[in-house]
Amino acid sequence: MLVPVRLTVAELLRDRLGLTGTKVSCEMQVCGVCTVLVDGDPVSSCATLACDLDGTEVLTVEGLARGRDLHPVQEAFMDANALQCGFCTPGFIMMAVALLDAHPDADQAEVREWMDGNLCRCTGYDPIETAVTVAASRLAAATAEDGQ
Amino acid sequence: MAVLPELGLVRSSDLDEVLAAVGHDYAPYAGGTELVPATGLGLRRPAVIVDLKRVDALKGIEVDAGAGSVTIGAAVTHRRLSDHPVVREHLPTLAAAASHVGNARVRSTGTVGGNLCFAEPRSDLGCVLLALGATADVRSATGARTLGIDELIVGAFETSLAEDEILTTVTVPFEPAGMSYWKLQSYERPTLGVALVVSDSQWEVTVGAATERPTRIVLAAGDTAGLADFVGGLELSDDMTGPPDYKRSVLRAHLQRALGAAA
Repeated sequence: MLVPVRLTVAELLRDRLGLTGTKVSCEMQVCGVCTVLVDGDPVSSCATLACDLDGTEVLTVEGLARGRDLHPVQEAFMDANALQCGFCTPGFIMMAVALLDAHPDADQAEVREWMDGNLCRCTGYDPIETAVTVAASRLAAATAEDGQ
Repeated sequence: MAVLPELGLVRSSDLDEVLAAVGHDYAPYAGGTELVPATGLGLRRPAVIVDLKRVDALKGIEVDAGAGSVTIGAAVTHRRLSDHPVVREHLPTLAAAASHVGNARVRSTGTVGGNLCFAEPRSDLGCVLLALGATADVRSATGARTLGIDELIVGAFETSLAEDEILTTVTVPFEPAGMSYWKLQSYERPTLGVALVVSDSQWEVTVGAATERPTRIVLAAGDTAGLADFVGGLELSDDMTGPPDYKRSVLRAHLQRALGAAA
């Protein structure tokens, strides 16, 4: 795929590939609704150029579920009522996935430090913190089960 | 969405090739955390971006045990800096500051060199690196020079780099005993940052974020009059995070707690 240098990752995903799960809002790297993972690292897709994706693996919210099975982080967000209007949710979920992939045993301070760069104007954040913590413990339990 | 203007791209893994390219309208580019939004807003108008992040020579973190220093490539990201064992061992205050820059996305992509060369006053790294006595290694296609951090950052959003120069590495002496960094922050960037190196004989105080550029003073330990003069004389910014008087009173309170001395 050939892209112009000025094309952002968010424009590539939404306008060219029709993957509208990734949202765009502040365009200043502040709100986090555009968060996607590039080689596992969370980035602001609105401020990242698509040409930099050359040779990388990109994960968006569309890539989390396996068929009808949601990702454990998605399940935990539903179970903890960690969303209301839902606009910020894909960004929060991708940030939580990045955190738990890098630090499966993240404590509360780490959860807050990583989720701190995503804004939600509905929930007041507590349910989101709960969801990430719940997802972490479920993933840890699943890993322990796999290991037996 | 804001659409970026047409841009050209120079991409190479070779330092000499990127040095040959950088110049007027050919902007050094790494994480893009500052340049891409600034270009979207029309604050910067590069014709071509020169990608530095595939240049291996700009991505090293190397320790020189003999000299007692760590040399950090300009294209090292905040996350790599904060997670690197050598940095955590020899520069723990810098590692901790890097682990709190911006947000997790900025730390994935934003670089040490980008942070210093954008010269946004509300920065942690400039303050901590000035306090550590770091030096900046600068290259162009035709030469090289080494600058102190206060010679590199000369004002708000202003460095002494020529258009054809880039920052290649920062060399940082091992952290001395008695160092700390504290900041006040309620938005994406710090409101006030204070780096201290305290010994029995000296107080080294570096103030950043609320000043146009990081500002350092070395006082004899216990020189409260000198400290009060320094704090009283700082020109502090007036912005949405608070007026100068507020920032000065927070600074005084922090110094009082940290040094046990009224400023």
